[in-house]
Amino acid sequence: MSEVKLTIDYDQYENGKKMKDLLEELANSPQSGELTSLIIGDWGGAYENDSEETVETLVALKDRFPKLTSLFIGDMSFEECEVSWIMQTNLAPLLEAYPALRSFTIKGSTGLDLNPARHENLEELTIICGGLGKDVIHQIYEGSFPRLKKLELYLGVDEYGFDASLEDVLKLTEPGKFPELTYLGLKNSEIQDELAIALAEAPILDGLHTLDMSDGTLSDTGAEALLNSEKVKKLQYLDLSHHYMSDEMVNRWKSSGLNVNTDDQQDMDEDDDYRYPSLTE
Amino acid sequence: MPQRMILIGNPDNRRTAGLQNARAKLGLPPAVVLPYAGLLDGSASLAQAASLAGAASQPAGEPAPLLRLDAPGELFAVERGLIALGAPDHEEAAHGDRLLPFGHRSDPQPLSVRSALALAEQEGRQYHPSQWFRGFARLLARLRREAEELWPQPQWTNAPEDIAGMFDKRQTHRVLSAAGVPVPRLLAPPEEIAGYEALRDSMLSRRVHRVFVKLASGSGACGVVAYRINPRTGAEQAVTTVGVENYGARAPVFYNAMKLRRYTDQSAIRQVLNWLLRHGAHVEQWIAKAAYGDRTFDIRQLVVAGEACHSIARVSRTPITNLHLRSERVSVDDLGLAPGIRAEAAACAVKALAAFPRSLAAGVDVLLDSASHAPYILDMNPFGDLLYRVVHKGMDPYEWQMSRLASGSAETAEESAGSAASVAADPTGSAASGFSGAGNSGKPGGAAGSPDEGGTLR
Repeated sequence: MSEVKLTIDYDQYENGKKMKDLLEELANSPQSGELTSLIIGDWGGAYENDSEETVETLVALKDRFPKLTSLFIGDMSFEECEVSWIMQTNLAPLLEAYPALRSFTIKGSTGLDLNPARHENLEELTIICGGLGKDVIHQIYEGSFPRLKKLELYLGVDEYGFDASLEDVLKLTEPGKFPELTYLGLKNSEIQDELAIALAEAPILDGLHTLDMSDGTLSDTGAEALLNSEKVKKLQYLDLSHHYMSDEMVNRWKSSGLNVNTDDQQDMDEDDDYRYPSLTE
Repeated sequence: MPQRMILIGNPDNRRTAGLQNARAKLGLPPAVVLPYAGLLDGSASLAQAASLAGAASQPAGEPAPLLRLDAPGELFAVERGLIALGAPDHEEAAHGDRLLPFGHRSDPQPLSVRSALALAEQEGRQYHPSQWFRGFARLLARLRREAEELWPQPQWTNAPEDIAGMFDKRQTHRVLSAAGVPVPRLLAPPEEIAGYEALRDSMLSRRVHRVFVKLASGSGACGVVAYRINPRTGAEQAVTTVGVENYGARAPVFYNAMKLRRYTDQSAIRQVLNWLLRHGAHVEQWIAKAAYGDRTFDIRQLVVAGEACHSIARVSRTPITNLHLRSERVSVDDLGLAPGIRAEAAACAVKALAAFPRSLAAGVDVLLDSASHAPYILDMNPFGDLLYRVVHKGMDPYEWQMSRLASGSAETAEESAGSAASVAADPTGSAASGFSGAGNSGKPGGAAGSPDEGGTLR
């Protein structure tokens, strides 16, 4: 596997260097033909320029990266750019331009669209953000990913763009929607308990090996539903890390015999009864 | 006979205990502890400590005692005493504020000696940071005067004037810049950033949308704000431990919270930043730190006598990495850094301490740029040696320092502080030669050029 990460840092950006230039340099280098994984970091002032030019450049250069199977758009730390300030665009043209992709990861949901959300061969789709919009959730639902094995969505909080209802999210778990799905992550959510209760007995669990409900506001309420579910007992792995469960509940999981991650227990704030997902802004 | 030591600090705290344990382990006599509280209430003095150490009646050729200043923090009586010492009506004011960088600036709403001494303890409260620092600098100046009266060449591990310089982040940045040590860009000189509006204007016009605003005299995470503005939407965000309580018409109370908080509301941000800027703050570019998984880190590198020794990486999900804020300690060995990068970071820290030629030990905070991994100095901590569970060649930081600095060798005794400074400068010179790729332009020899001045306190 060969992987390259491209970033325009502050000094390069202020000196007028563009992601387009870096991509063209890469396309003209001998390694382009063998490149399997490309990570795009900050494309230069990602809080004031959206990713459109990067997308257009990658689409124009599609024949230069014939072996590309993994693409990440927006891999930047919280220091480089606040996740809720990252300006995305419609990334669907990348799906069309790179039919051999297996894995597609997006960070940042501001301005994000996946329209149309369609790919014949994609196996992993991950969206990391502080708040995923109803529109994008609907686009994924309306789209077509027949080979998808892993779907990982950071749902986030309403303050940073999560405006979907529980029902909107649950539509993604309708039977047959992703026939090959084995890893479902509906995580980093402020409605983690409601999701846990709704998913505990959902048919989609029958096909999964992993249910990822980490990074959210899961408390004993949601955990109880999961712990009591026969379907959950059949999972190979359950990720509940970053949670608000009690010590007692964590011990019940530990003695359940299940392969479950209960790391990163959060303190309930004493003067403020409020729980936060891991990644908000 | 091994060299005696006078430790100016707070007795019975972890620092003093750590140092005394180290001395015992190395077979050195315990240091005479000169408490800050006693210095402030007049019940103790350096001369008294010197006679306890048997140093006043030393025969010619006997070493002067090693003088170590340690952190004055964590004791309210000392904090209050220093604020009183910094009062405009304190008799010490007659000596001027020569050791206080930017000492000509007046402090906002100063407290009289009487009001300062009447302060009651409120946990975490920031009573008056600039007046506290003025008082601390006055105490440092007094100790320097007294030491010069007692010994022809006082043997400070870190000289009072260097401590004042390292304690003031504006001054540290100035000294390091002049020495050609890489530091994040200054947004603008402190006098150009009087308040929140000037700060924002400066950030927008210079297109530096991410800065750290640091209380000039703060230590640790205290008074540090990671501040950014979004030039497109006008949104802003401040991450800090500074909290504020407003009580109607009464003056607001600023305090240091144990947890980081995130402000996005302009009125709160304005209030916090205005308070910091009024007390004196340093504003520099916020350089994104290198990543360790989905978190980022910086390195606390201890430097003793010109040599990098103990180090620890502080890994965090937040811009402020101080260890009490739930950062994780990771061995620098485990970061997976290329050996050249690690050596460059250590050399950068050594060079930073060499810019303070009358100092032999400091904890230097080094960041590595997220993209280039080039090192930059974030902070210098003259009392930055309290590092738990970190060993170097089998020794903890205190044992290491005592074995390096207090071995009682005739060399240390006979030579002036100048020889100690040249010990410090030597490895720096060789490190500097391998340093050219680190984006460090300016005066490569600046730091190494100073040992000649080391022996003379002016």
